[in-house]
Amino acid sequence: MIKKKACDFTLMIVTILLVFIGIIMVFSSSYPEAYYKMKDGYFFLKKQMFFSALGLFAMIFFMNFDYRRFQKLSKLIFLISIILGLLIFTPLGTEFHGARRWINLGFTTFQPSEAIKLGSIIYLASYLSRKKERIKYFFKGVVPALIIIGIACGLIIIQKDLSTSATLGLTLMIMLFIAGMKFLHLTFLASIGIGGAALAILKEEFRIKRILAFLDPFKYKDTVGWQLVQSLYALGSGGIFGLGLGKSRQKFFYIPEPYNDFIFAIIGEELGFVGCVTVIILFLILIWRGIRIAINAKDLFGCLLASGIVALITVQSMIHIAVVTSSIPPTGIPLPFVSFGGTSLLIFMSAVGILLNISRYTDLDRS
Amino acid sequence: MSSPTISTKKRLIAMLLLVSIASLSLTIRLGYLQIVKGEELKKLALEQWTRDIPVRAKRGVIFDRKGKKLAISVSADTVWCRPADVKNPKETAKILAEVLDLDEDNVYKKITSRQSVVKIKMWISKEKADILRSKKLSGIEIVDDNKRYYPYDNFAAHILGFTDIDNVGLYGIEKTYNKYLTGTPGRWIKTADAVGRQLPYANEKLYEPKDGLSVVLTIDETIQHFAEKAALEALLKNKAKRVSIIIMEPKTGDILAMASKPDYDPNNPREPLDENLKQQWKELPQKELIKKWYDMWRNFPINDVYEPGSTFKIITAAAGLEENVVTPESQFYCDGFITSVKGARLKCWRWYNPHGSETFVEGVQNSCNEVFVAVGQRLGKERMYKYIKAFGFGEKTGIELTGEQSGIIPRGPEYMKEVNLATISYGQGIAVTPIQLITAISAVANGGNLMKPRIVKELVDDKGNVVHEFKPVIKRKVISKDTSKTLLSILETVVSSGTGKKAYVPGYRVGGKTGTAQKVINGRYAEGKYVASFVAIAPVNDPKITVLVVIDEPSNGEYYGGRIAAPVAGQVIKETLNYLDVEPQFTADEQKNNNEKTVVVPEVRNLTIKDVVNKLKKAGLDYNTETLDIQKDSLVIDQFPLPGTKVKKGSMIDLYVYSRRKEDSKIIMPNLKGKTMEEVTELLNNLGLRFKFKGNGVVKSQYPAAGTMVEFNSLVKVEFGKVN
Repeated sequence: MIKKKACDFTLMIVTILLVFIGIIMVFSSSYPEAYYKMKDGYFFLKKQMFFSALGLFAMIFFMNFDYRRFQKLSKLIFLISIILGLLIFTPLGTEFHGARRWINLGFTTFQPSEAIKLGSIIYLASYLSRKKERIKYFFKGVVPALIIIGIACGLIIIQKDLSTSATLGLTLMIMLFIAGMKFLHLTFLASIGIGGAALAILKEEFRIKRILAFLDPFKYKDTVGWQLVQSLYALGSGGIFGLGLGKSRQKFFYIPEPYNDFIFAIIGEELGFVGCVTVIILFLILIWRGIRIAINAKDLFGCLLASGIVALITVQSMIHIAVVTSSIPPTGIPLPFVSFGGTSLLIFMSAVGILLNISRYTDLDRS
Repeated sequence: MSSPTISTKKRLIAMLLLVSIASLSLTIRLGYLQIVKGEELKKLALEQWTRDIPVRAKRGVIFDRKGKKLAISVSADTVWCRPADVKNPKETAKILAEVLDLDEDNVYKKITSRQSVVKIKMWISKEKADILRSKKLSGIEIVDDNKRYYPYDNFAAHILGFTDIDNVGLYGIEKTYNKYLTGTPGRWIKTADAVGRQLPYANEKLYEPKDGLSVVLTIDETIQHFAEKAALEALLKNKAKRVSIIIMEPKTGDILAMASKPDYDPNNPREPLDENLKQQWKELPQKELIKKWYDMWRNFPINDVYEPGSTFKIITAAAGLEENVVTPESQFYCDGFITSVKGARLKCWRWYNPHGSETFVEGVQNSCNEVFVAVGQRLGKERMYKYIKAFGFGEKTGIELTGEQSGIIPRGPEYMKEVNLATISYGQGIAVTPIQLITAISAVANGGNLMKPRIVKELVDDKGNVVHEFKPVIKRKVISKDTSKTLLSILETVVSSGTGKKAYVPGYRVGGKTGTAQKVINGRYAEGKYVASFVAIAPVNDPKITVLVVIDEPSNGEYYGGRIAAPVAGQVIKETLNYLDVEPQFTADEQKNNNEKTVVVPEVRNLTIKDVVNKLKKAGLDYNTETLDIQKDSLVIDQFPLPGTKVKKGSMIDLYVYSRRKEDSKIIMPNLKGKTMEEVTELLNNLGLRFKFKGNGVVKSQYPAAGTMVEFNSLVKVEFGKVN
């Protein structure tokens, strides 16, 4: 047995910093909506703080929970995630803004798709580390992995949450790539994926409209381009140094739910280019430390688990920033650690806890 | 336990590289948006946040030349709603509908609409505003607003014009001087959220509005009143289509009065004054209704042309005298037919009883066509045309009112045929606007200067300082002083012993000329449709006013200008010169005439009306009071003429009786049921109420009901029927 060491402090501090920025920005951006609609300006702040505290406990817990035990528990965890995903279709399922993506636990709501993300990463990491030779073969190795991916993404697709499902799909594919999938297979799957995506876009009119809005947001300012234009206004009026913390105008109902899928735009407006770059750098440090942990992991499961977690954080944060800057067609993805959302915060902090635990079994300098 | 392979590690490093590149690209993109395009986007965002609320400036007053307010802005409250702030829309709608007499569903729709602000009702009364304020409805705001108000109702309506609901002038002075009257609206700039609520940042700015300038007209309220009264009388008496009277001060070109009847009330410009018409208009389709409105708003003296007829002979005479082709003593012979113009059968108006041998002066007195044709021919086309142009015909006078017409004259002397020259000489085959004619006649009166008609004297600011003065403008010298003098004395004889006798005013030397023209409709002379007119200058020794009376389509038998228009002019001249304190100069004959029947006006001020009437009767004088609700013990507070003035026996003495203020004079409706028509008439007359009867027999029903408080002079509808 390898002796347990201290964890990666840099990773921990960066995570806590991001969560801290998140609390402040959620408070700032949600205030108008909370004030006018909930009649309580601190509504979202309170929730976010509660879940941040809960997340911190989860992080510390998983930091001390031997990750190798996940390998044995992986099947159970995946099963529980699937069951949670299906619970949405029972009376426990709750609807928000016309989408049925939550289950009501009485005292709070829970978003199963977040659990599915981590559950499937654990399960796939376990599968790939057990069958590490088979991944070179298409039918023996890749196809069963694809089935796992299909089940995980399918569970989210039936919630009509295509963007989350795509994020997870991409994350799990990166894991396959890290695990050693052949380039030939990857190219083949990528072309199928691109073809499928193109088909999905052309089939639904609203998706075509979104692409058009992406190409020229100002032309569709009053309809599908609204959010994009508002996001650009926010970034533009922020300039280099921003309007100052709390001074966003765009959060006043110009950007819908500014504490969620467009929180990075509000950061840009209030804290400016400087603030945005700071957040990007924090994410980069986090990703760098994560990859370092993966590379130095003592076993393949730890490596793949770390890779999966880092991939998820990377994919989701990059897509969020790309959407806000109108660099890719619009879709709704919250920014990890920063955007409002209890389940998301809990899961991401737990995931970092797992990363930290992996780091304790590596030979690294800890600073 | 397996450990990660080298390949896995390589791939992880590759991923790190890829992520770094992606982050860098996103950072560059971010920099491009925030720094390079930042300003541009910021500007667009700023436009989106900024709500620019105009703050109305107070519209200037329109004064008459003596400072009487003819058009003012009164503050009136307007109710606005911010739907986003309404807490209980159902209840709010109910209260608003109740207080403001509106449809509840409509109000509900308005206050729940997705707009930042909606107007609920404009210009509500103070009482209603207070009631609403006391209810403290959230999201409902009551804003002090300005409303245009014309205190004299239909008085000088065609000159003043009116404004639209946003206080923008649409007609008349309101339109032509809109720029000055409006002032500069202020702006209230604030930032708002997407729902229209104000953002909590202190970047509001209020730019104070600058109130509009006030316009001082050349119109004299009193003289305008004389003109309007005379025009209305003439309209009714002659059952005419329209009557216009213009009074001008010849030396300055100032318009002292310009009346045109029928007219409208600019407080309510889309409703006719006549009750019957009001009913008729209700059934008209929108398109026709609009046409009716435009007809009603037409200012005849400026917007319409007519054939001047004999009044135009003054122009021919002026040209002839100025060019020395004729002198007052020149001899002419009228045989009834004008034979000198080939290819046309022209005749004198009295062809059946020709004027025979006559001097030029007599020719003018007789308004003999043959004389003027001869003068025209002596002048020739070139010179005649030159004078037509010189007197300002065929071009706009430049009066600052809406829609001025330029009239119709030949395009040039080369386009005039012999027959045109002949007919124009006596005022036919040419179309002029009344304002052109009076301006030309004023040039004759003032010694030969064609003035630009002036209707606005000056612009003053809210403190009464004159900001700009419009000086009288001489356009050109048309005839010499001598010609003017000669012509004036000739015109005087027209009134003293010619066709214009009916315009004679004792004590004043009035010069004038009659005119009667058959109307041209669709290029033909219309049977039985005439324009009777009279133009006058008084007093001719020192002209103070020129007057033009135009009666369009009289239909009560008489249509000669000398018979129906001249007396109107005479009446107006008398009243105006009296008012202007022009000392009457009686001729010896008049003096004698006067002395016989002259009485001295007694002092009747501060006496009760009963005593006054007795006193005046004894003195052989008639009296007139304008107030209707006179009690026996009402006090006479003023009189005109003043005591000591010598007037003719039987003259009218105007009495000003103290009457209670209009708003105090509420009357309780009596019960009319069962009364006969005579009884009702007497009763209502005594109460000073107007009435409208329907049916025969005794009173069956009445509106308003008995016991209701009604305003003085309001209308009572009474229905009669048979007793069961």
